[in-house]
Amino acid sequence: MKKQLIQLEINNRVYEVPVNPRDLLVDVIRKKVGLTGTKKGCGQGDCGACTVLIDGAPVLSCITLAIACQGKKITTIEGLADDRGNLHPIQQAFVDHGAVQCGFCTPGMILTAKALLDRNPQPGEAEIKRGIAGNICRCTGYKKIVEAISAAAATISKGVVK
Amino acid sequence: MYLNHFEYYAPRTAGEAFELVGRLGDQAKVLAGGTDLMLILKEKLIKPQYLIDINGVKEFQGIAYAAGKGAVIGAATKISEVEHSAIIRDKYFALYQAAGELGSVQVRAMATIGGNSCHASPAAETPTPLVTLRARVVIKSAAGERQLPLEDFILGNRKTVLGVGEILTGFILPEPAPRSASRYAYIGLRNAMEIDAVNMAVNLVLEDDGRTIKDLRLVMGSVAPRPLISAEVPAILVGQEFGSELVGKAAAAAAGEARPISDIRASAEYRREMVAVLARRLLQEAFDAAREV
Ligand SMILES: Cc1cc2nc3c(=O)[nH]c(=O)nc-3n(C[C@H](O)[C@H](O)[C@H](O)COP(=O)(O)OP(=O)(O)OC[C@H]3O[C@@H](n4cnc5c(N)ncnc54)[C@H](O)[C@@H]3O)c2cc1C
Repeated sequence: MKKQLIQLEINNRVYEVPVNPRDLLVDVIRKKVGLTGTKKGCGQGDCGACTVLIDGAPVLSCITLAIACQGKKITTIEGLADDRGNLHPIQQAFVDHGAVQCGFCTPGMILTAKALLDRNPQPGEAEIKRGIAGNICRCTGYKKIVEAISAAAATISKGVVK
Repeated sequence: MYLNHFEYYAPRTAGEAFELVGRLGDQAKVLAGGTDLMLILKEKLIKPQYLIDINGVKEFQGIAYAAGKGAVIGAATKISEVEHSAIIRDKYFALYQAAGELGSVQVRAMATIGGNSCHASPAAETPTPLVTLRARVVIKSAAGERQLPLEDFILGNRKTVLGVGEILTGFILPEPAPRSASRYAYIGLRNAMEIDAVNMAVNLVLEDDGRTIKDLRLVMGSVAPRPLISAEVPAILVGQEFGSELVGKAAAAAAGEARPISDIRASAEYRREMVAVLARRLLQEAFDAAREV
C-alpha cells in the first residue's frame, strides 16, 4: 500500500511524515518523528502510558491513527518544558515529590494531570484520583503522584509559573 | 504489531459520509472514537478494506436542547462532552452519571455516545440510561432517514439493526416529565476502568401529590444480551404510593426478570442479587430526587 505524506503538528512544530493509513500515532511519534518520551504500554487503551494531548484532550496514541491527526495540535511530554528548558510545574512537582520511580508511566501521567488541571485548576484528592484512573503505575503506589499533582496545582494557581 | 491495511476516508459533510458508506458497503467500517474498533482491528477479528472516519462531520456532533421539546445528541459527540454538559446533568441525570463512569478520562475524551450503542456490548454504560430516558435513534443513509426506540436498535451482543450504507446520526431525548427524576448505578469489581457486572437506570415520575407513582421505567444492563426493560416493576409500582414494602417487592421482581450469565466478572447468582440491591437503591434515590423538582 502506498504511503501518504501527512503533516503533524507536534509541540508547535510541523513534521512531514510518510504514513500508511494503518500506522498508529504512538509509532509515528516514536519512530518517525523520533520523540520517544511517549511510551507504548498495553496497546489496548488500558494503561495510559501512551497518553498525548490532542487539542488539549488526553488521548491514547496506541489506539489512534496518525492519519486522523492532521490539522490538530499534538502535545507530547517533550513539549511541556519552556523554551529555556525550565520544567513545567507539574514535571517539577513530580521530581520534588519523588513521584517518578521507573518513569515509564510518567509522561502519560503528567500529560493526563495537565489535562485535569487545565479543566479543574484546584482539584481535591478524590478528583485527582479520578482524573488519573486511566494511568497505571506499578512503582509508586500513586500516593506521591497524587501529592505531586496537588502541589503543582497550588504552584500554578499562585501564578508563579505559567 | 501492525494492523491489516485499509484505505482511510475522512468525509467533511454528512452527504459525503452517506455517499461513502453507500458506495463502499460492507467492505467499510465507520470509525468514531475508535476505542472499540481499533481494538477489534488489532485483534484482527474483522478486516475492513476501508475506514470512514466521521469525526470531521459537524452534523453528527453536539448536544442541542429546546425547552419543552427535549434534547438531540449527535452520535459522534464525545462521552466527555456528555459528561460535562450542564443540560444533560440538569435534565437527564442518569445519562450524566453513566457518561462519567465510562472508561477513563482518556477513553471518555475519545469515545462517542453513538459508538457505545453501535458496539452494543451487553455491559455498555450509556444504552441503559438512554433506553430508560426513552431515547430514539436517528439512522440515516443516502436514501433517507428512519427513527426507532433505542431498545429496538440494539439486537444483542455486538448486533444492531444498522444496515449496509446506514449511519447512526443521533439520539432524540424527550423533555423529562414534570416531577420526574432519573438515576443510574453499576456494580463492578473496582472503582475505575472496570466492565460492569450489572448496571441499571430508573426514571420515575410522580403525581402532583408527590407520593404516588405516575410512571416508571427501570432498565437493567449486563444481565441480558441487550438492555432489559422491566415489565414487572412498573406493574407493581405505578398508581401506588411509594413505600418500602412495595419497593422491596419490586426489587425482588426485577431480580427475577434478570437473565444473567456467570462469567469471569461475576456469577449469575451474584448478579441477580445485585439487581435487587440496585433496584431498591435507585428507586429510592429517584423518588427522593423527583420530590425535589
Ligand atoms: C480502556 C477502555 C475502557 C472502556 N471502558 C468502558 C466502560 O467502562 N463502559 C463502556 O460502556 N464502554 C467502555 N469501553 C468501550 C468503548 O469505549 C465504548 O463502547 C465507546 O463508547 C465506543 O465508542 P467509539 O466512538 O470509540 O466507537 P468506535 O470504536 O469508533 O466504533 C465502535 C463500533 O460502532 C460503529 N460505529 C460507531 N459510530 C457509529 C455511527 N455513528 N454509525 C454507525 N456505526 C458506528 C463502528 O463501525 C464500530 O463497529 C472501553 C474501552 C476501552 C479501550
